[in-house]
Amino acid sequence: MSKRQLAMVMDLNKCIGCQTCTVACKTQWTNRNGREYMYWNNVETYPGTGYPKNWMELGGGFDAAGDLQPGVIPNLEADYGVPWDYNYESIMTESAEHNHFKPHVSPTWGPNWDEDQGAGAFPQDNYFFYLPRICNHCTNPGCLSACPRDAIFKREQDGVVLVDLDRCQGYRYCIAGCPYKKIYFNPKISKSEKCILCFPRIEQGLPPACAQQCVGRIRFVGFLDDEESQVYKLVHQYKVAIGLRPDYGTQPNVYYVPPTESPAKFDAEGKIIEGSTRLPIEELEKLFGPDVHAAIKTLKDEMKKRKETGVSELMDILIAYQHADMFRLDNNYYQEVAKEQKRTPLAPVDTRYLAGKFTKAGGHH
Amino acid sequence: MNKILTSLLSLGLACSAALAAEAAITAVKVTDSLDGIKADSAIWSNAKFSTITLYPQTAIEMNDKKANELTENAKAKKAQVAALYDGKNIALMVKWADGSKDLQSGYASTTYSDGFAVQFAGATAKPQPLPYIGMGSVGRPVVVHLQKANEKVYEPNGNKDVGNQINRQQTGVFGQELADFDAKVASLAVTDYERIFVGEGFRSLTEVKDGSIKSNSSMVYGANGWSGILTRSLKDDYVNLSGTVPVSIAVWDGSKMGRNGLKNLSSWIAINLDGQKQNAAMVTDLTTDSKGDASKGKAALEANGCNGCHQMNAADPKSFMAPSLKNVGGYSTAAYLRESILKPSAVVVPGYNRNAHSNTPWYNLEKGKRISTMTDYSHLDKATVEDIVAYLKTLKAEVE
Repeated sequence: MSKRQLAMVMDLNKCIGCQTCTVACKTQWTNRNGREYMYWNNVETYPGTGYPKNWMELGGGFDAAGDLQPGVIPNLEADYGVPWDYNYESIMTESAEHNHFKPHVSPTWGPNWDEDQGAGAFPQDNYFFYLPRICNHCTNPGCLSACPRDAIFKREQDGVVLVDLDRCQGYRYCIAGCPYKKIYFNPKISKSEKCILCFPRIEQGLPPACAQQCVGRIRFVGFLDDEESQVYKLVHQYKVAIGLRPDYGTQPNVYYVPPTESPAKFDAEGKIIEGSTRLPIEELEKLFGPDVHAAIKTLKDEMKKRKETGVSELMDILIAYQHADMFRLDNNYYQEVAKEQKRTPLAPVDTRYLAGKFTKAGGHH
Repeated sequence: MNKILTSLLSLGLACSAALAAEAAITAVKVTDSLDGIKADSAIWSNAKFSTITLYPQTAIEMNDKKANELTENAKAKKAQVAALYDGKNIALMVKWADGSKDLQSGYASTTYSDGFAVQFAGATAKPQPLPYIGMGSVGRPVVVHLQKANEKVYEPNGNKDVGNQINRQQTGVFGQELADFDAKVASLAVTDYERIFVGEGFRSLTEVKDGSIKSNSSMVYGANGWSGILTRSLKDDYVNLSGTVPVSIAVWDGSKMGRNGLKNLSSWIAINLDGQKQNAAMVTDLTTDSKGDASKGKAALEANGCNGCHQMNAADPKSFMAPSLKNVGGYSTAAYLRESILKPSAVVVPGYNRNAHSNTPWYNLEKGKRISTMTDYSHLDKATVEDIVAYLKTLKAEVE
């Protein structure tokens, strides 16, 4: 466990599956150098196969006795999907019968191959929702425990889980050990790589690319011990944000506000079944554990309260009026850490999100 | 302890060579320089090959489900080893059978390469006790030379070459200029997956990247097997090789998803540099078996409850509490086994991350030292310890 823990909350009621986060991450980090197939951030359709394919069935994580479980390393072509490219260079010079636009491989699988399919029968009770996923920067990371090289570490100052590329020798036990399959093998450098929670951005006052670009404003970022942060309020005060698959025992630090809103089912005549909901609670319980019931109750109660009285702090938080409220990056804290480590503190490039437990709002100190 | 060792050594000297665990290898002295030696160099015709046995690493089980299925009940392998030295360098050749040539290649997440490694004991004030076979132990460092049959890898971070870390589509160039960019990146690739590590116990290996170790290794596939060669200087900051050189050899099989802990390894093997004064004690230690009675040892081991924590053979339940001993007779020396019974905390490697099995800690940290949770059996009489060692030496997989 680290001294402090940076966390993210994602509100699943608001995710529209636009993949802006995916693209923000891809262009920032994974469009080059062997990382092309990786999606450190992906948005998958739930229920669905997910990314990589059937990741929930590939093992890893811990059992109730605290023992790391064996896992399977996904196949790049069959489970992740080869990122295909087009013949941009040769299309102008090829002969007439070959000069059409074509992918360099014939794709057989890729992320979101089953986008928007979901489950249930159309139109009676079909349903799905979007599940955006990044590395959970777990308090008890499966990847870290699996590494026989001591090449994975959790940063003391903010709990970000990172790979030491100098020590990593590409053995890939981390991939087997991560139950979320959010650590990837880079075949070009023969080492593992993963989401870094955009720590170089955070240290300079910028939220992670996925969070800043999110058009639905579903992502909140802050420290879990910062009682002023919306992350703290959602996770600890209102307890409406829960880690994904808590049964894996890794104590994830990306939290989800479970989807509470789904349309009613239709009967055989196509009429609305009053009071019904398409989203089976069992599915949510599978994803978020038994705490999901209390979370949903709180969310429903607060929605009602807001409707009736016009006042609900929780609803105001989830509406997410201002980025400056959603992101509390505690820049002064990082400045002090840098000074302690006798490093040169980085000047923030953006001053809007500097506030935090150790940083007074409204300016840099 | 010293007394026991001394008496055992004298016992060992008296015992016949027929009991020998693994015969010593003779490094033939050559007058030509070993610089630039290759697997097919004519100079190898001078070498004397000896057969050694490589046992599957089963002390701990890694967490790769598919690989574990492939290596369930893995067998031991034979390898041929020869050595040459020229006064400045030592060269080793390892030949082993492998039905398939496996390279870690292509844009893939699940290919693994064949490979081999040679482990040398680091220079210490006293050559014995030897370092723990699993990449050394505290105060008993090792140097490990690893050669893998990887396709070339490009390590921009290693070479601080950040300028070429961009997507080729974002270079803004096309045609010949883009081809030039691709060629530049390809030329920057590290072509040979050769690594040198120093370590004081499994999980502590650290790569030596400053060029302070002069060595060269390579591997060639042919006739259903690999020939790997390693040349290194006899003396540098880490080792000082003379007289008797203890080495241990490991090989990896890519088709069995071998890497890191999924390998076959030998026990320490003595290489005598021809014409130099041998370390007789070490040679004896590495080439003779314990004189104890294995069947009495088995009974003593059961009476003392060793199998409460240790897995002795494949039929026993697996345990996270203590290393499995099902191949310990193959890759451990009698001296190490004896020491581990009498002083369990003498060798406690950093090992597998303790958090992987947090409820069964196999050591506790006391004042920064790893103290084994194993009971101290120093109260056992010498004969019983010897019997247990003799039994443990029988625990090993059969040869394939």
